[in-house]
Amino acid sequence: MTNTIVALVKEIKSVDNLNIVKYDFNGTALSMMSLELSENVKVGAKVRLTTKPTYIAIAKEFSGDISYSNKLHVKILHVENGELLTSLKIQVNGTTLESIITRDSSDRMNLHVGDNVTALLKANELSIAEVLV
Amino acid sequence: MIKINLKNSIIDINLEIESTSFVALSGKSGSGKTTLLRVLAGLEDSVGELHVESHVWQDSSTCMSVQKREIGFVFQDYALFENMSVLQNLLFVAKDLELAEHLLHVTEMSELKDRLPRTLSGGQKQRVAICRAMMKRPKILLLDEPLSALDSQMRSNLQNEILSLHKEFGTTTIMVSHDPSEIYRLCNRVVLLEDGKIINDGSPKDILLKTKGSQKFSFEGELLEIKKVDVIFIAIIAIGQQLVEIVLSSDEAESLHVGDKVNVSTKAFSPTISKN
Repeated sequence: MTNTIVALVKEIKSVDNLNIVKYDFNGTALSMMSLELSENVKVGAKVRLTTKPTYIAIAKEFSGDISYSNKLHVKILHVENGELLTSLKIQVNGTTLESIITRDSSDRMNLHVGDNVTALLKANELSIAEVLV
Repeated sequence: MIKINLKNSIIDINLEIESTSFVALSGKSGSGKTTLLRVLAGLEDSVGELHVESHVWQDSSTCMSVQKREIGFVFQDYALFENMSVLQNLLFVAKDLELAEHLLHVTEMSELKDRLPRTLSGGQKQRVAICRAMMKRPKILLLDEPLSALDSQMRSNLQNEILSLHKEFGTTTIMVSHDPSEIYRLCNRVVLLEDGKIINDGSPKDILLKTKGSQKFSFEGELLEIKKVDVIFIAIIAIGQQLVEIVLSSDEAESLHVGDKVNVSTKAFSPTISKN
């Protein structure tokens, strides 16, 4: 399984079958929107979260506010430029993730290996791949 | 309450069913679904106990005959008496003209009551079979894939009629079905069989939503092709009669091979929907 993050469930807020789950990912707070949760997803559970590389947006020298619930301070490990798209390997809290953005954005933002940037992810685009304990 | 604790060479079933509930029996062919219905009806031998409300239908000392069991049975292939009219098919079971006319009215078959079965369409024949099954005012209605030979519009009409008869007569209904939409619409419980045993039992939503983790939009498919485009990969996957395309990263693509059986899923928040 690629693009995964191991995190602890800190809080679950529910209205009917809709839930917002808050996680702790090595000190970084994450938030996930979900319908029914399986029974073993409860506060204190360790889970493997996942998202598609195309869901991860990248911001450079980010300031101001934004509705994206998940903001990760990441370092760029690798840049693979295609003709139209760019694949970035980014690292945060010891975890490596992949972000796929347009080549235009990558060029415009002048992204390079070693840059510190912000990875942005909406709460509905994060999901549970597996409950670990 | 219906308490079933029965076994024979094919099935070994221990099941309690609330009276007036509508239960789906699901599972692969050969899993014992039809055998269970036939055992409940007394059409096949078994050992064990069968209690229907306060009555003993079967235990170590007694075994009620097929005729005495208050059961209605509907088969996929209608099984009507071809030499009798629609009305005669119903009255053969019980001489209750008022009930027969009521059932034919509910299923919109009144005008066809004097026709012979061979002059009826599949949907009309199955309506007659359902009406006939209700003529005994059965405690238990057993339906063995009753609608699987019918087109989707006809299925939908008959589903509504089955549900209204189930409610009106307060029967406990057990239906063999493979159709998730049918099960979801009609049933309040699904019992999944494999090799004659119960392997899952729960609400239709819990059993039928084939989800992993928090992914709610999930399908089984077969990977037909995977090709690199720019820095990403595109997978072509066959799901039922449809082909779909999915964008993958190189890491995701690495572990996949053409011919793999795969599960395609996304969160309930992602798909968009539009009317045909």
